[in-house]
Amino acid sequence: MFQEHRSWLQLQIVLLICRFTPTCPEVVRILSLGMDKQLSLMMRMKLRIHYLMCSFCERYMKQLKYIRQVSREFPDKIGEVSDASLSADAKEQIKAALRQ
Amino acid sequence: MPFQPGATAGGVSKPDVQPEPTATAASDPSRWVDEHGDVLYRYALERVRKPDIAQDLVQETFLAAVRTIDRFRGGSTVRSWLCGILKHKICDYYRKRGRETAFTNLEFLTDECAEKFVPEGYWVHMNGPKEWKPEPDEVMHRDEFWKTMRDCLGKLPERVATVFMMREMDEVESKEICSMLSISDSNLWVMLHRARMALRECLAMNWFENPGVQR
Repeated sequence: MFQEHRSWLQLQIVLLICRFTPTCPEVVRILSLGMDKQLSLMMRMKLRIHYLMCSFCERYMKQLKYIRQVSREFPDKIGEVSDASLSADAKEQIKAALRQ
Repeated sequence: MPFQPGATAGGVSKPDVQPEPTATAASDPSRWVDEHGDVLYRYALERVRKPDIAQDLVQETFLAAVRTIDRFRGGSTVRSWLCGILKHKICDYYRKRGRETAFTNLEFLTDECAEKFVPEGYWVHMNGPKEWKPEPDEVMHRDEFWKTMRDCLGKLPERVATVFMMREMDEVESKEICSMLSISDSNLWVMLHRARMALRECLAMNWFENPGVQR
């Protein structure tokens, strides 16, 4: 009887958490918003609780931060790595414009 | 002809040599075109996707640099100063375009990869995000990674890519992007969410979770 009561309690807690925290599609929207805007303390707590049950969303959050880090480096790196180039004519045209 | 230090021999410059940090009126701007022109062009091309427009933007950047050369302090390298000017020119370009062509509603539709989630509101277990290795500071040394990222950005619809790159690479504030392009905050957030989700997906499939890639 005591065992059943404990698992019923655990179930109630899990259901409460489910109702209290956002769904995963909502979380990913909120995480994107959080990259540009400060989220409320309440929302940040809900996200922490959500991560207890959902490691996917926690990874998504880390990956958004990863993307932000690599994006900052992209302009410099693509300058080194890309194979596109200005043609010799284009460079002459620009130099001529500078001489005026 | 005797070798004269400081003269450019036949217009050939070593691409990896960083020029002296201070630029003065005595510096020759055509050297800048040889040393930095391609690098600027490459970034401009990723942003505007059209070679002739990218070329125009690079030209405008050099012209603006020559005009404002007195304002250049020795605090940064010539290259990062020029990149800063280019980013402004790119923003000006989009500001003008934003006024001419309104964003259509299609660009605002949330395309949230609904099939990644089950109706109850969780990730489909098999398709959920997996751990990404290696760490950013290691992956940044791989040329192939940047080409993959470039390809993934290329797959985004142009407006969505513009907004994402303005926010994450040019580091423009959200409010300013909205006024520049005449869109509302919620439009902006929908587009950024789409960009981030699609980019994450593309990088996962083509780099981090791709068994064929040498990481």
